[in-house]
Amino acid sequence: MLWYHWLTIGAFLVCIIALMAHFIRLIYLGKPKDYSRKSGNVTKAVAYSATVAMIDHKESAYLHIPTYFAGMVYHIGTFVSFLLLLFFFINMILQITLPQWIVWVLIAGLSLSALCGFSLLIKRAVSKPMRSLSNADDFISNLLVSLFQLASVAYLLCSCKELSYYLSATILLLYMPVGKLKHLVYFFAARYHLGFFYGWRNVWPPKKPLQ
Amino acid sequence: MKKLTKEQIDKALKILRMPEDSKLVTHLNACVHCGLCATSCVYFLTMKEDKYVPARKVELVASLYRRYCTLTGKIIPKLINARELDEKMAEEMIDLLYGACTICGRCVKHCSIGVDIAYVVKVGRQMLAAMDLVPPSLQSIVDAALNTGNNMGITTEEFTDTIQWMEEELIDEMQDENARIPLDEKNKNILYTLNPREPKFFPLSISAMAKIFYAAKESWTLSTSMYDVTNYGYYSGNNEHAAIIAKKLYDEVKKLNANTLVLGECGHGSRSTRWEGPNYLSTEYDFTTLTVVEIINDYIRSGRIKLDKTIINEKVTIHDPCNLVRNGGLLNEIRFAVKSAVADVVEMDPYGNDNFCCGGGGGQLAMSEYNERRLNIGAIKAEQIRKTKATIVVTPCHNCIDQLTQLNHHYKLNIKIKSIAEIVADALVVEN
Repeated sequence: MLWYHWLTIGAFLVCIIALMAHFIRLIYLGKPKDYSRKSGNVTKAVAYSATVAMIDHKESAYLHIPTYFAGMVYHIGTFVSFLLLLFFFINMILQITLPQWIVWVLIAGLSLSALCGFSLLIKRAVSKPMRSLSNADDFISNLLVSLFQLASVAYLLCSCKELSYYLSATILLLYMPVGKLKHLVYFFAARYHLGFFYGWRNVWPPKKPLQ
Repeated sequence: MKKLTKEQIDKALKILRMPEDSKLVTHLNACVHCGLCATSCVYFLTMKEDKYVPARKVELVASLYRRYCTLTGKIIPKLINARELDEKMAEEMIDLLYGACTICGRCVKHCSIGVDIAYVVKVGRQMLAAMDLVPPSLQSIVDAALNTGNNMGITTEEFTDTIQWMEEELIDEMQDENARIPLDEKNKNILYTLNPREPKFFPLSISAMAKIFYAAKESWTLSTSMYDVTNYGYYSGNNEHAAIIAKKLYDEVKKLNANTLVLGECGHGSRSTRWEGPNYLSTEYDFTTLTVVEIINDYIRSGRIKLDKTIINEKVTIHDPCNLVRNGGLLNEIRFAVKSAVADVVEMDPYGNDNFCCGGGGGQLAMSEYNERRLNIGAIKAEQIRKTKATIVVTPCHNCIDQLTQLNHHYKLNIKIKSIAEIVADALVVEN
C-alpha cells in the first residue's frame, strides 16, 4: 500500500467518525415528545415518508423533471462511487479483478452521473434565484462530488490515474462533515421527523379523497 | 430599528443552542439549497422575487445556527454563509418570517429533502419573540386575548347580548320556546368554542351551530369568560403567551366539567388547541378535543341530524384550511360534511393536502402592514375559485372566511362564503 492509500483510509475514518458524531447527537437529543392525542399511525407514515412520499404528488419532482432526474442520477452515482472506493480498499487485500462488463457499466453510469453533477453546478451558477440562495459551500460540495465521480471514471479507464483518484477521494471525505454534504445523515432524520409529524395527525399515509 | 442588546441576542440564540429534541437540529442541517420549493410557495409564485423562496426563509435561521452553534461557522463563517444576529438580520427575519410566510406548510410536503420549513419559520418567530420583535399589530391581538380572554377584546356584556339575540333568532326559527344557547352551564357534554369574529361580525354562524346542536339534541354550553378558540401566541412565536391562552381554555373545560371540547371553525385555533395546546402545557388532556367538523359528521353518521341535499341548488366548492387538512388530517371529514349537505360539489385544482393557502394564515390577517402582499398572494386562490365556477365556497375556518371575503371583493369573484355549520344548517331537516 502506498502513502496516498493510507491518506485516503485516514480521511475515510475521520469522515465516518465525524458523521457518526452528528448521528449520535441526533439519537442523544431524541425524538419529539408530543402530548397531544395521536390520531394516525406514525410507523406507517414514517415508512411512507421514506419511500413513496419521495415521488408521490411531489412538485419538486414532477414540476422539475430534468433537475429531479439529474439529482437522482447524481445521488445514485455518488453512492456507487463510495461503494467502489470501499471495494478498492478491500481489494487491496482480496486482489479480485472486476469483470470487464461491470467496469464498462460503471464507467458509463458514473460518466452520466458526473455529467448530471456538473449540469446542476452550472444551473446553480447561472440561474439567478439559485445563485442568490447559494453560498460557497454549495458550489464546493457539488464540485468535489462531481470531480470524485469523474476521477472514478478516469481511474476505471486507466490505472495511471490512481493518485488523482485517491487524492480527490481524500479531499471529499475530509470536506464532507464540514459543509452541507453531511445531509447524508440529516436527510434520513428529516424524513423520519416528517413522517412522525404527519403520521401523528393522520395526514400520512395520504387517504383517497372522498368522491 | 434600535440596536439589539446582548440580552436580546442571548435570549434568541438560547432557542438554537438548547434544542429540546433532534427535530430542530435536523431541519437546520438538512436543506441543500436545491430551490425546488420555490414553485410551491404562494409568495414566490405571485411575486416572483428570489427572497420569497421558502429555502431563503430557512436559510435565515440556519445561518444563525451555523454561526453560533457550529465549529465551521465560528472559524470560517463565509464558507457556509454563517451570519451574525444583528439589526439587519433581525429586520430581514421580521420581513420574511412574519410578513412573507403563512406557515401553510405547502412547501414542506413538496420539499425534495423533507425539511419542515414551516417549523423552522416558527422557530425564527420564536427567536424574534424572545427579542420582543413581534410586529405590534400581531402582538396587540395576543395582548387582547391575554387581557380580556378573547382576541377582539369583546366585553362579556357585548358577548352575552349577542348570544341572547341569537337565542331569540333560534327560538323563532325553531318555533320552540325551549330552544336555547346555554351559557356557563356545568356538567354538559360539550363546551363549544368560537372564533371571536363570530360574535363580532358573523353571529349567524353561531346560530347555525346552535341549530345543529338543537337538532341533534346535544347537551352543550358556551362559556362567557373563555370561548375564544384562537391562540395568536402560536403565530407570534411567544410560547409563554401561547401557553397562558391554552391554559385558560383548559381550565374552563375543567371548571365547567365538560366531557368534550369542541373547537369552533378556526384552522389555527384548532391546531393550536388540539395539537399544540397539550405541548404548550406539557400535559396530556384528559378530555376529548374535537373539531366542529368531526362532531357534525358524528351527528350525520349516527342519524342524530338529517340533511336534505335538494335544498341547496348552487354549485359549491371547498377551500381546505391548511391547518385543518395538510396539517390536521381532516381532508375527508370536511368532504363528508359538505357532500352530505350539498349535491353539486366541485373540487378546486389542486385541493386537499396540495391546496393553496388563501393567504390569510400565519397571522397575516392580523398584520395590517402586510395587507398588500396578502391580497397579492390571494390571486392564486381567487383563480382557483373562479375556475370551479362555483357560487358558494365552504370552509371551516373564520380566518379563511375573512380572507376569502376580501378576495371576493378585490378580485370580483361574486361568490358567497360559508362555514361548514352554515351550509349544514341550511340543509338541515328539523323534526319537532
